[in-house]
Amino acid sequence: MKFEFHPHTADIRMKVEANTITEVFEAALLGMSEIMKEGFCNRPFKGSLKVDLRITSKDRTCLLIDFLSEALSVSYDEKAVFCQLQIKKMGTNLLEASIYGEAIDKLDEEIKAVTYHEANLIKNKQNKWETFIIFDI
Amino acid sequence: MKIGKQHLSKIEDYLWEIPKSFHKNMLVPARVLAHEPILDDIIGDRSLVQLVNVASLPGIQGASWVMPDVHEGYGFPIGGVAATSHPDGAISPGGIGYDINCGVRLLTSTIMLEEVKDKIEALSKEMYAQIPSGMGKGGFLHLSQKEMEDVLSLGAKWAVDKGYGNTKDLAFIENNGHLPDADPSKVSERAKSRGLDQLGTIGSGNHFVEVDYVDEIYEPEVAEAFGLKKGQLVVLIHTGSRGLGHQIATDHIKIMMIAMEKYDIRVPDRELTCVPFSSLEGQNYYKAMCAAANYAWANRQVITWEARKAWANIFGKDHGQLELMYDVAHNMAKLETHQVDGKPHALIVHRKGATRAFGPGFSELPESYNLLGQPVIIPGSMGTSSYILIGTSKSHDLTFGSCCHGAGRRLSRTASKKQVNAPQLKEQLKERGIYVQAGSFKGIAEEAPIAYKDVNLVVETVSDAGIAKKVAKLRPVAVVKG
Repeated sequence: MKFEFHPHTADIRMKVEANTITEVFEAALLGMSEIMKEGFCNRPFKGSLKVDLRITSKDRTCLLIDFLSEALSVSYDEKAVFCQLQIKKMGTNLLEASIYGEAIDKLDEEIKAVTYHEANLIKNKQNKWETFIIFDI
Repeated sequence: MKIGKQHLSKIEDYLWEIPKSFHKNMLVPARVLAHEPILDDIIGDRSLVQLVNVASLPGIQGASWVMPDVHEGYGFPIGGVAATSHPDGAISPGGIGYDINCGVRLLTSTIMLEEVKDKIEALSKEMYAQIPSGMGKGGFLHLSQKEMEDVLSLGAKWAVDKGYGNTKDLAFIENNGHLPDADPSKVSERAKSRGLDQLGTIGSGNHFVEVDYVDEIYEPEVAEAFGLKKGQLVVLIHTGSRGLGHQIATDHIKIMMIAMEKYDIRVPDRELTCVPFSSLEGQNYYKAMCAAANYAWANRQVITWEARKAWANIFGKDHGQLELMYDVAHNMAKLETHQVDGKPHALIVHRKGATRAFGPGFSELPESYNLLGQPVIIPGSMGTSSYILIGTSKSHDLTFGSCCHGAGRRLSRTASKKQVNAPQLKEQLKERGIYVQAGSFKGIAEEAPIAYKDVNLVVETVSDAGIAKKVAKLRPVAVVKG
């Protein structure tokens, strides 16, 4: 499992689990894109739109949420969905990366925000990194 | 932390309490307004854990409240009210929500359903054509930077000045559609940019424009003052501050998350992030929140203009105007004075999925409503009833002048989609005389009546609690959704 969806009364609860932090960030971006446009990142992908991001945050969990928030805002700015992430530099509080996406006419779902609620990026008993992420719909 | 019925003590048939002693972080008790069948639904999700967490907010007064339409949110429960001490208590963007000043307005018409039954389907299509809805969809207005500053400063007045309504409309909007504390300089360029083409648009999720008819009148004198008659068509508009509001909340939560340490504030959930209202970060957020609230009122005003256009296109220009009955916010923090321990106390009242429900005698209410109280608009789900209520003096004594805001979800979107065949539901509703125009079947399935609590029970609870009185029941005939 890299990302999967769990029930939430009004919003979307996603669980991400991966071997490395980098994979968590990649999977979380893919999961968010799946909400915005189902299957969009599974089809042949050109990644014609590249956006560079630089994010500083309070800690690693916040960095993940702030990264997704930034990618979401860029999606609305560019009217695009992003499927790929290339990390240039990553620390506990800093991420420098590029995201690659393609323009889109119509989304399946309008995410209002990526929330910090329940987010806690930790290593689980299987020695994998995991967190829940709640998207406000 | 798990909370079951055994942790709640019954105070009245409609009122339950989790005592302050339940958790060491609680500064006040947590209170639930709900009749027992609703309480069973509420216990099914994490609403009560979230309610208990809110009871730890710095400066919280009285009690942390949830209304009977409560459901789990992110941080704060949806349907919650938390009042903190002004000016040094906390302001928490999570207690307002990402959709700042999401709210509802009701327009009354002079047309009776019986006169125009054969035109309702055409009306639903015209409404759908005139009012942009759906994911990230832009409207016909493309604001310049200067116009954006004016919208953020002036709210609904900007729209009226531009010809999207009349001056009389402004008297029938909470705060006259304008919060003077708004400061556009506290709104990021990105937030402004997201709002440039979204005025006059509904968006998606549970937002809608609906045509209803008045099915029942409970308080004839009040209904008359509100301009409501049995059988009459009315229009309900439900939306908020769109991407601009979402971005403002995102921006300021991130700032506060870092600033919190400086004020030695620790919260049990990151989405309860808060700072003292009087702090620089608190003031910056509050001024940006007011700007987003103004944007939302301008948005509902432009949508009103679009609805009036659709109305005139179907019924003709001479067939009556749509008059604004009232516009209420249900995601907002307001500076108000209420009694705490028997004394007047200046408060920052956070309402997240809760409606202000002032009783009679408040000078801010329109003159014609002043002796009666404030209208409260409770939309149900498509296919069920909506209600018009009126606030009472008791709401000030009990819930900081607040009431519920809708039916409240009970099923997740996924569960709803699994249980509902959307094309079939659309046809079934059509057979019952309800025409649904939506951007997708997915949206219909997610917002199906089965996904919501019984709005009748929710309204009975607030009515029995005495915080609002039933004035009229509405039933839908046309629904426009994203």
